[in-house]
Amino acid sequence: MKYAFYPGCVSRGACPELYPASVKVAETLGIEIEEVTDVGCTGAGVLSRDLSDPINARTLAKVEAMGLSSLMTICSTCQGVFTQANHRFKNEPEYRQKINAEYLAEEGLEYKGTVEVKHLLWVLMEDYGVENLKPYIRRKLTGLKVAPFYGCYIRRPTSIIAPKGLSGRKTYLEDLLDVLGAESVDSSGKSKCCGFPILTVNEENSMRMVSDHTGDAKTKGADCMVTPCPLCHLNLDANQPTAEKRAGTQIGMPIIHLPQLLGLAFGFDEKEMELQRHIVSTEAVSRQLEVSIRS
Amino acid sequence: METTFKVYRFDPENGSKPDFATYQVDLPDSATVMDGLRHIRDEQDPSLAFRASCERGSCGDCALRINKKGRLGCTLKIAKTVKNGVVTVEPIRNIPVLKDLVYDLEGFLWKKIKSVQPWITPREPEPKGEYVVAEEQLAEVRKAMSCVMCGLCDEGCAVIKIDKDFVGPAALTKAYRAVFDPRDGQHNERLTLVSEPGGVWDCTHCFEANGHCPLNLEPTDRLFEVRDEAIRQGIRSGTRNPKVQRHYDSFLNSVKRSGWLDEGRLAIESEGLTNIAGLAKLLPTVIRAIPKGKAPLPYFHHKRPGAEAIRRIIDKAQRSEA
Repeated sequence: MKYAFYPGCVSRGACPELYPASVKVAETLGIEIEEVTDVGCTGAGVLSRDLSDPINARTLAKVEAMGLSSLMTICSTCQGVFTQANHRFKNEPEYRQKINAEYLAEEGLEYKGTVEVKHLLWVLMEDYGVENLKPYIRRKLTGLKVAPFYGCYIRRPTSIIAPKGLSGRKTYLEDLLDVLGAESVDSSGKSKCCGFPILTVNEENSMRMVSDHTGDAKTKGADCMVTPCPLCHLNLDANQPTAEKRAGTQIGMPIIHLPQLLGLAFGFDEKEMELQRHIVSTEAVSRQLEVSIRS
Repeated sequence: METTFKVYRFDPENGSKPDFATYQVDLPDSATVMDGLRHIRDEQDPSLAFRASCERGSCGDCALRINKKGRLGCTLKIAKTVKNGVVTVEPIRNIPVLKDLVYDLEGFLWKKIKSVQPWITPREPEPKGEYVVAEEQLAEVRKAMSCVMCGLCDEGCAVIKIDKDFVGPAALTKAYRAVFDPRDGQHNERLTLVSEPGGVWDCTHCFEANGHCPLNLEPTDRLFEVRDEAIRQGIRSGTRNPKVQRHYDSFLNSVKRSGWLDEGRLAIESEGLTNIAGLAKLLPTVIRAIPKGKAPLPYFHHKRPGAEAIRRIIDKAQRSEA
């Protein structure tokens, strides 16, 4: 199956390690992806939906024009915004037609409502099949204690993101960690907001969320956290030193992108997965992986 | 059905610490958790305090934390929630407890609901007779009309958990009800009011509130609609948080110029180009990010293919808003 690929803004900006890691994982698994390049930012839940819905309808129309029916994301925020917009487009045909007529027709585009948008995590668990990952695992992550951190946009609103028949989406990270040989560490905030959406509006609250989440993972004994969202990564990793300072504590919790963790299990080394780019040192992860290899 | 009720007990007057008391009840399968609490109070322990009123999910008085989930005690059947023969009943979270299952709603809910002025201020001039409103004009309002102010959406709110001053989804759902009422004459004033610090922009849009509303009113969606209506009216912050507007405008201008987000520009412009103290605050983060190649150079942001089409869409959408 071939996917249109939507990398999002952050994987080319403040989290440049995410893009190559994702491509390497897709190539390793033989997942065919074609980047959809001439499209815009989803609006990330910041822009008014009056503006972002037409932009996102245009992206989905472009996917249809490529002759594809699936769009793969690597960002929970992109995923969440797309899922909600696509839900409106599919369930409100009059609304979709209005957007087509007012915004897309002049480019000769029309969104017919046929595209499914799927995060890499969902692609692996629902289309590729978790069992089919096993032959590619060169380095079992045995002994590595990983706290999954979903964030909010890939978990809610439940009625749209994880509806009946897809409620398994609530445990995909844990299921995947199990296959990779890592140990899941259950932290209380794993499906809560990371605080990034209010970083500018209320930095104090945002930093409190970072210290709460990373601190809880540390208390529970995690070596690192793994997230499918680069915005969660930005706040939990790049802003962790600020959050530590505000909370008056040292945490030092490494935050790993989901494709990086997959890449490590598929035999790529830390440099190939560009772990050196992280703000919080990932040495604890490397040390644990060394132990795993020797034992 | 024989059930063990573990009920939160606390009486500040006798100086004891909060604890759980255990009661055995045997009630028909159709019994609700509230039936269980009444049975305990009437038959076993008259000192147990709890609130209840309508018994049909219409008043919100009996919002409780039942088996670790925020629920209305009067509509939840014991059979539906019981786990291994046990039902645990506690007050909702993030709220001062007065006694047992009775909590202080004044600061938690009423003060916040009053703060959004959830009443209609009629448009002038007032009609001679009653206001006549067509049913279709009330379609939006009806999405929030049946809110019973139980506070369960606030109970699950990730922001209120750490910041008791955040106005919260319950009050903002009430604000929605007034914002979209065609009879209201304070539309923009109301939108500015809820855009002040601690208001609609302080929400993370995590959609927790939707999962906690017992009436499925989707409070996060209502909140989004209030925010989008404010943007339509040109209100992108309150009077005391101009950074919110700078952030929105910078985000929009970045997407409008190049099709995607210039993160460096967003950080700088959100602080304000002449806000030296604000810009200085960014420095430690930037200094940490530069050697890691994680600080995208602001303003040198190449246009994505398709940027012109994105700009045309935004221009057109903004014209429709105006």
